[in-house]
Amino acid sequence: MSESILRISHLSKSFGDNQILKDIDFEVKKGDITCIIGPSGSGKSTLLRCINLLETPSGGDIVFNGESILNSKSKITKYRTLVGMVFQNFNLFANMTALKNCMIGPQKVLKKSKKEAEKTALHYLDKVGMTPYINAKPKQLSGGQQQRVAIAKALSMQPEILLFDEPTSALDPQMVGDVLDVMKDLAKDSGLTMLIVTHEMKFAEDVANNVVFMNSGVIIEEGSPENVLRNPKNPETKEFLKRFFDE
Amino acid sequence: MNTSLPPDFWGRIVYILQNYSQSFLRGVGVTMAIAVVSTAVGCLIGFFIGIILTIPEDNKKKFSFKNILLKTIKFILNAYVEIFRGTPMMVQAMFIYYGLALLFDIHMGMWDAAFLIVSINTGAYMAETFRGGIISVDSGQTEGAKVIGMNHFQTMFYVIMPQALRNIMPQIGNNLIINIKDSCVLSVIGTIELFYVTKGVAGAYYTYFEAFTITMVIYFVLTFICSKILRYIENKMDGDGSYELVNKDHLVLTSGTFKYKNNKALSANRNNDTRGGF
Repeated sequence: MSESILRISHLSKSFGDNQILKDIDFEVKKGDITCIIGPSGSGKSTLLRCINLLETPSGGDIVFNGESILNSKSKITKYRTLVGMVFQNFNLFANMTALKNCMIGPQKVLKKSKKEAEKTALHYLDKVGMTPYINAKPKQLSGGQQQRVAIAKALSMQPEILLFDEPTSALDPQMVGDVLDVMKDLAKDSGLTMLIVTHEMKFAEDVANNVVFMNSGVIIEEGSPENVLRNPKNPETKEFLKRFFDE
Repeated sequence: MNTSLPPDFWGRIVYILQNYSQSFLRGVGVTMAIAVVSTAVGCLIGFFIGIILTIPEDNKKKFSFKNILLKTIKFILNAYVEIFRGTPMMVQAMFIYYGLALLFDIHMGMWDAAFLIVSINTGAYMAETFRGGIISVDSGQTEGAKVIGMNHFQTMFYVIMPQALRNIMPQIGNNLIINIKDSCVLSVIGTIELFYVTKGVAGAYYTYFEAFTITMVIYFVLTFICSKILRYIENKMDGDGSYELVNKDHLVLTSGTFKYKNNKALSANRNNDTRGGF
């Protein structure tokens, strides 16, 4: 087996008295495509936001490449450059063109030269099929296009692991396919480690090699898509998946 | 110079204009210089205070040195904002001008005093304006910056402020216009701006109504021109209005082009940038 890149151990998160995540424990190996599924409000997005520290976990630990992240303030910036994030609402910088969006991180955070940053940005924008729109501002683009630029923006940082927070949930049905295709391509040929929160079960079945089912803040079932999606053992998983795969 | 005053109102206005237009012009120059420079400096003050006041505090280490230092600075800045927003500029002018002279033996000239007082007064207002501008930008923008490892200052400079600045342009214009008018309170410390000049002119022949009619018109023209210029700048910042979705046809050259394949991405990009403004 390949080495572990991200290990979540006993992670918990509460907002006031409301406990969102309870004792979350799982591991992502290098090159893994992990899909997290589950009903709305089950804590999937919160888990992802905890992993890149947009929310501070209340307990437990995150170990990245063998190093504990939560107990060291200084490493957070470095850690964030290695963990990419794609949001449900794209969150592209509204004041910059698609190209600038992909260049600003490498230039200002990774301190690359403008030329280098542009080369990387163009490479990834091409990869997501957005080459014709490099000079468009986000509000000139459709949702699907914005999300593809957002994926290029995350890739331009050349992260070791990429987190997707329901990347297609804010999109029109006909644009969902575009974005999923881009993600499938990424999964197939780049060997990038991906952690995807999604409601697209068919997509999860196609690309994932590990599926995590969450409900009310705990991991109910985990395993290969074959096992979790097609032959779920837990009644909660069965109940949830009934709607998606009714043969 | 004609020494006898004409008997009718319009005649006296013409008379004043003929004999004192130089003084009026100098007054206008001083007023505008104070207003423009102080508004600019006030914006800078507000810009930095806005950035500092929005630095997030580390909740885990409440009593670390950094947190205490940050809290102290924030307290001082907040006090500054509240005090200078909450007292009249005329009183501030007297307080600072005579206070510095008496306590610290600093005797400021007309220009120094005027710029200092109007700038710090405007800065207090602009700090709140910038804070409002920062809040007005969607929090997703901050998150988008955080996840690629940008720190607070990078996020502010490259992402939030350019967007906030557009949102607060009307308020900056407001402040400029207020400063053009309110700089007249500086006459209490002897700054020879438009109001001070007018008082002098009026006093020479007791033509108060005539002199202030002229000044009234001048103030209005100044503020009106400024508001028009600012509106023009706002429109420039918005860029051209072609914000249609460009998802119709991949072959149509809209805002993006295929030129980069011939290594011309940079030139295509630059053209667009200068046009877009913010």
